[in-house]
Amino acid sequence: MIALQARRSRRVERLALFGLRVAAGFVIVTMAALLLYLGFEGTKTFFADHVSLGTFLFSPAFGVDAGQPGSAVFVIGSLAVTLFAIAVGGPFGVAVGIFLAEIAPHRMTSVLKPAIELMVGIPSVVYGWLGLTLLVPLIRTHTSSPAGFGLAAAGIVLSIMILPTVITLSEDAFRSLPAALKEGSLALGATRWQTITRVLLPSASSGIAVALILGIARAIGETLAIQMVIGNATQIPASLFAPTATLTTEIVTDMPGAAQGSLLEHSLFSMALLLLLMAMVLIVLVRLALRRRT
Amino acid sequence: MIKSPPVTAELPLDTIENKLVADNVNVFYGAFQAIKHASLTMRGQHVTALIGPSGCGKTTFLRALNRMHDLTPGARVEGSILLDGEDIYGPDADPVVIRHRIGMVFQRANPFPKTIYENAVYGPRIHGERDKRVLDEIAERALRQAALWDEVKDRLNRSALVLSGGQQQRLCIARAVALNPEVILMDEPASALDPIATSKIEDLIGQLTEQFTVVIVTHSMQQAARISDFTAFFHIGEIVEVGPTNQIFTHPKEKRTEDYITGRFG
Amino acid sequence: MRTAPSARSVAATANVRARKIVDAVATAVLWVMATSIIVLLAAFIAYMIYLGWSALTPSFIFGMPKERDAGGGVGPEIYNSFYILVLTLLFTIPIALSAGVYLQEYARRGKFREIVQFSAESLATVPSIVMGLFGLLVFVYTFHWRYTALGGALTLTLLNMPALLRVTQEALSSVPDTLREASMALGGTKWQTITRVVLPSAIGRLTTGVVLIAGRIYGETAALIFTAGLSVTVNSPYDLNPFHTAETLAVHLWYTHSESTVADVDRIGNGSALVLLIMVLIFNVAARVAGRALTKRFTGRAS
Repeated sequence: MIALQARRSRRVERLALFGLRVAAGFVIVTMAALLLYLGFEGTKTFFADHVSLGTFLFSPAFGVDAGQPGSAVFVIGSLAVTLFAIAVGGPFGVAVGIFLAEIAPHRMTSVLKPAIELMVGIPSVVYGWLGLTLLVPLIRTHTSSPAGFGLAAAGIVLSIMILPTVITLSEDAFRSLPAALKEGSLALGATRWQTITRVLLPSASSGIAVALILGIARAIGETLAIQMVIGNATQIPASLFAPTATLTTEIVTDMPGAAQGSLLEHSLFSMALLLLLMAMVLIVLVRLALRRRT
Repeated sequence: MIKSPPVTAELPLDTIENKLVADNVNVFYGAFQAIKHASLTMRGQHVTALIGPSGCGKTTFLRALNRMHDLTPGARVEGSILLDGEDIYGPDADPVVIRHRIGMVFQRANPFPKTIYENAVYGPRIHGERDKRVLDEIAERALRQAALWDEVKDRLNRSALVLSGGQQQRLCIARAVALNPEVILMDEPASALDPIATSKIEDLIGQLTEQFTVVIVTHSMQQAARISDFTAFFHIGEIVEVGPTNQIFTHPKEKRTEDYITGRFG
Repeated sequence: MRTAPSARSVAATANVRARKIVDAVATAVLWVMATSIIVLLAAFIAYMIYLGWSALTPSFIFGMPKERDAGGGVGPEIYNSFYILVLTLLFTIPIALSAGVYLQEYARRGKFREIVQFSAESLATVPSIVMGLFGLLVFVYTFHWRYTALGGALTLTLLNMPALLRVTQEALSSVPDTLREASMALGGTKWQTITRVVLPSAIGRLTTGVVLIAGRIYGETAALIFTAGLSVTVNSPYDLNPFHTAETLAVHLWYTHSESTVADVDRIGNGSALVLLIMVLIFNVAARVAGRALTKRFTGRAS
């Protein structure tokens, strides 16, 4: 009787294990399919339409009708907006992360952490809508920008959106430091701020690098919030308040109108492939940063 | 190993005999009282050992001596602790200054992830010393005092984390003496080390008393007997007995002390 | 060799005072930064409630959208948001849970695990618009579906699977090994240990994670624009057929503010944003409450 039970349960085990393995394998299959499909479709620009890689990447001429697939404008736009976001949101986020890990009393933490969680949950459309209804008019009235749309608006919205990522990862980086480090510094007569800047920050550097890299990843991949406030003009931004476009916003703006098989459509897929490759590079960077820690 | 007659409370408070004096100290963690009415005179340029079973409060008492409990939320210290006659818990007393004069070495070596040189000069640096030449001198002096100089003088710019456990602990001692403190508190400094490294640290402690006052927590009675001049026996948060080490170990006056020393508990 | 007692006191020197001022200023700056986040968030929420409250009429919440005229509602959109959410979870939870159980309980090491982890991490960083294009390629072009709720749900499954996988892994690894050992020592098989001991212990955290991800799915837009579409079927807006075109509330908010030319775009925007905010709040609170309740129920502990 027990032997029969044992055999039956062993079969259940094997079946279950098989099912689980398939599920895990599904993850790999998805990633592979993504790379293959987008790789195939995204390289049609080069193989079917015979556009050179250089032209695609570096030519600023992008004309929907004129058959020009240069995406330099959008690459620059993406980089510019991301740079703005990480330059503003990065230090701010790390600072608040330090605050949460080292300074905040319990009552403050119990208000701040749920607030940050809420910020994560707010959909990007809503951030875009907030930017559209609040920020853009503000910029319009207070600066030289004619309509308010542009790099600055997108950059500010994006800075706010990456804050939760940078804050929580920075906080984790500090909390995972051994307490002996802090005690050793304080026992030598350092103030708390000296301990943070001279001992804790250098020790947590790889964790902070991860926080910033993932913040950058979030920024590069953001689409709608930026698209609603950036102005969507196919021009390289001459100033902070000039409207421009990024890789992601361009895809969203022009894909609905792109005919299947057209050069435009192929270019947009190439841009998507570019974004995918950038994401993978960032992942590799994160792994490198983590390896440096151990 | 006693160099002068035992300590008496009749001597004025700012003499070397009464370098560090704890007077009726109570330490609370929230509602729990960890140290009860502890009074102890730690004599200048001698080694005072704090012994007792686990959980008896000896580390808690030690950490009160350099105001480390300020860092623990919910911890409270009552009573006074006098350094050269001045209460370190007084209204004018500044913990940063106190920790300059009373240094601490921890149970597990905790060098910073910096170079050996940077570890050694961290203390002087944060207290404002910027002159490279002065820092170099301090580094050499401190590392010599910690009996580490010969082993590391050629690799001062290597990371401190490549050193062995015993070397790291001596680096931490160097880090503490670089500030020229007057008192060095040691919390079981050799408990994580092998016997050879331990004996090196013990020799070092003997040399340190030429300049510093040492208070050391140890769970090893043999260690206390080897290196200390005076011993205080702690039990459940109280100081049961204190006296010259020789006397504590050969003719303890309290039954609890005798029981502990003969291994009946702890 | 006896040296005289030190000439130093225990009071602060000028150097110490200066350092303490720096410390105090820096601390104050950090306090301001942290508080500003709370203030900003509160301001956003107040703003949205103030603007959107008047828009939340029954004709808005249940009414049909209008292409150009004023007075349209978002009833079908709200329905679609939930529909796609449920569909997505139906796919995502089994896959991510199974994969997570496999990685944490069976394959703690090895090449396979490394590849899966790497794939999951990479997938997690893929921008949602790129995933949307992938969905477009596969479901709309290759499979020749048009814009469908199913296509959207499947795309969202691919997008959120890595996140739920990570949640599963963290929830499972928070269960101490001693529990597993105890079960095995009593003669339980691995599978029994997982289903009867490990999963119930982890269910609180799992639920919190699932509900939070559900919140994110509800607000997802970029991946749905090219897969689930920008319109609703007019004759049967509350369709149960997974192949119907399914514009969600979030997509509608974007659409009205970029492409469309509907007359009362402000009112629709205010109302939609507020509804989305309310949903996020509900999901957030529900995640914590459910998580805590389930943990208590299944383990008797508080967390």
